Amino acid sequence: MLSPYTVLDLTDDKGEFAGMLLGDLGADVIKIEPPEGSNSRKMEPFLDGAPDSERSLRYFAFNRNKRGVTLDLNSDDGKLALRSLAEKADFIIESAPPGEMDRLGVGFDVLRQVNPRIVHVAITPFGQDGPYANFAANDLTLAAMSGQMSVQGDPNRPPVRITVPQVWLHASAEAVVGALTAHARMLATGEAQFVDVSAQTAMFWSMLHARLAHPIQGSNFNRGGSVLQLGTLSVPVVYECADGHIVALPSGATMVKMVHWLVADGVVPEEWIEGEDWPIYERNLFQENAVRYPMEEVVDAVSRYIKRRTKAELLELGLREGVTLAPVSTAEDLVRFRHLEERGYWLTAPLPNGSEVRALGVLARPTATPMSVRLWAPALGQHNQEVLGDMLGLSPASAAAASGRKG
Amino acid sequence: MPDTLPFEGLKIADFSWVGVGPITTKYLADHGATVVRVETTSPLDILRVAGPFKDSVPGPNRSQFFADYNTSKYGITLDLKNAAAVEVAHRLIAWADVLAESFTPGTVDSLGIGYETARAINPSIIMASTCLMGQTGPAASFAGFGFHAGSIAGYYEITGWPDLPPDGPWTAYTDTVSPRFLAAILMAALDHRRRTGEGQHIDAAQLEMSLHFLAPQLIDYNVSGRSITRNGNRSEFMAPHGAFPCQGEDQWCAVAVENDQQWAGLQRAMGEPDWAKDQRFAHVEGRLANQDEIESKLGEWTKSMPPKAVMEALHGQGVPAGIVQRSSDLQQDPQLAHRGFFRDLDHQEMGTVPYAGHQFRISGYDSAPRSAAPVLGQHNDEVLRDILEMTEEEITEAIIAGALGG
Repeated sequence: MLSPYTVLDLTDDKGEFAGMLLGDLGADVIKIEPPEGSNSRKMEPFLDGAPDSERSLRYFAFNRNKRGVTLDLNSDDGKLALRSLAEKADFIIESAPPGEMDRLGVGFDVLRQVNPRIVHVAITPFGQDGPYANFAANDLTLAAMSGQMSVQGDPNRPPVRITVPQVWLHASAEAVVGALTAHARMLATGEAQFVDVSAQTAMFWSMLHARLAHPIQGSNFNRGGSVLQLGTLSVPVVYECADGHIVALPSGATMVKMVHWLVADGVVPEEWIEGEDWPIYERNLFQENAVRYPMEEVVDAVSRYIKRRTKAELLELGLREGVTLAPVSTAEDLVRFRHLEERGYWLTAPLPNGSEVRALGVLARPTATPMSVRLWAPALGQHNQEVLGDMLGLSPASAAAASGRKG
Repeated sequence: MPDTLPFEGLKIADFSWVGVGPITTKYLADHGATVVRVETTSPLDILRVAGPFKDSVPGPNRSQFFADYNTSKYGITLDLKNAAAVEVAHRLIAWADVLAESFTPGTVDSLGIGYETARAINPSIIMASTCLMGQTGPAASFAGFGFHAGSIAGYYEITGWPDLPPDGPWTAYTDTVSPRFLAAILMAALDHRRRTGEGQHIDAAQLEMSLHFLAPQLIDYNVSGRSITRNGNRSEFMAPHGAFPCQGEDQWCAVAVENDQQWAGLQRAMGEPDWAKDQRFAHVEGRLANQDEIESKLGEWTKSMPPKAVMEALHGQGVPAGIVQRSSDLQQDPQLAHRGFFRDLDHQEMGTVPYAGHQFRISGYDSAPRSAAPVLGQHNDEVLRDILEMTEEEITEAIIAGALGG
């Protein structure tokens, strides 16, 4: 879809996912790393457990569909090479601290002189300017300041983040939307565009309806753990099963079917089937109308039924009967999920140690322009010759000086 | 001179509902596209019946959950089970560049607005279909609420405390992840069409998109068999790393010490207490091994101050720290104020209320939602008459036939 376009990806761990997404959409993405490599090459998890700049599975996961070059942006040769690349590029993405690119002499104001149609995307914790712009921040502190943590976790414990860091991924995905929006504006105006992405506000979106709760209803939403608040009722949604947990709602829609399973299993007597107006059960609870079986009893019966079965059994049963029973999927469950298998989601990727691994598939399936993985993550400087020599026409000596690497 | 908006002139027939579809089309609407959001009066969009409601008074036109995701759009009602409504829908499809829908797979075909029909009406249309599992596959019919989606997509397992059942992320987490992908794909497909004239149908499974936020962990599982689980706020690589209690009712400040320099900074911020000089804590390995002790001592210090004072003391020493902000705090956040993030817009029933702004700013124009969300059916006349250019007679016929619903 984006095959005519070239992207210069100068990001570190905070923005590398953005470059990958543009690559997945078809763009020619050139990942530009410092001579010693991106900081994400030093990030866990590592292939074979050993820290090694060619063995970071994080780097591997977020740098496909990119060519890899090194540039020493502290050297004149490196800066000159970047400017030459910018002439040929449509997008630049970077995640340097505010002002850093300007200090290096390769900021937006310089690059737009070189290429008046460039779209420059900058990813930072809080944006390019403002009272917090230069504050130290990371996944945890941004999850806090975005508001997301305030509504997450058990009410008797501190608020929690999602254990796997998410903030930079939200910011990076947002940066791609910003890049393509700005590109559309460049086409309309003929002007270079600067896109200022704030990770704090990107993460803020994951707060959903809690975001504006206070100014609208006069109160905040609070974290409730694994309980759904229905009016004055606290309804548990997480249930222990034989091999983990599942998420279910003991609502009318669920109970209409499930009450028969409970009876067949001997969990409740047969009179339960006719004993309640199940289709409107939760409405009756919500409106505090009389019910024959109080919610605690229903939850207890459902819990006993679920406890005897596995996640996979419950999912299949739910799919067959039209009742939503969602496994609390682990990595293992996801990798073995028959649905993804049958959709052909997983791809086979070569790893740096010569083995192969199943890697994540394409984002979506557009019929006319199928998405694909054309390149897996590059080795450090893998395409120095191809890009600096063949594409820019630098002599071997200039290319070596620009790349900050010998040869 | 008015701003030049990126998607001026772009036309979108938005039959999607709830989260992912409407958030996707909101990007295009806020940035200039003409988006006609099609709703039914029965059932209502789930977000219209979920809060927060203006002044806590429920009503289909009082939900900011709905309004926040449907800014800058026109709103019409169509009862798609009615043949006259399907005729109006076909006019919309003929008018549009993009058709968006987020029903259970197969629904659009049975309603008579599926891709084959759409393409016959408008050969270069781009149609985006999004649902949790995708259009095909054994679990394609899986439909549930946001927490079901967050659970099956792997996010429950990794949110909460190791000694408790999973808490899960806040409600419909995958609904906040997926729209960025879908919006980017749509924008790329539009660029392809601009260059080639070719339209297409996009099957966007929210599960498949959302799994990319767990990519290193899933690949690691495939390589090593290691399966990640929830671990409170702790990190495998940093300590201390958590949310610490502060002065006040349920007030917290997150602190994440990334390295030994920041540990020294934290000690300075605390006024160099003796306990922190313990050599066991000087390096990250020791701090990781003694987290319980450090967390409890650090918590005693943070408890003595309001969260903002804790954050400022730590920022002063270069230590990453952040208040756990609630909706009320975010309204006062000086950084968000600096960015002009929240925007007051005038809604037909709610009056002037704040809306969320944009996560990115683009130089040269004011990037923000342009108008409040429509109340149910607010633009029925305007869309039929001015956008679809139907005659008064045609409009009357459609209304009498019940096309616009009850």
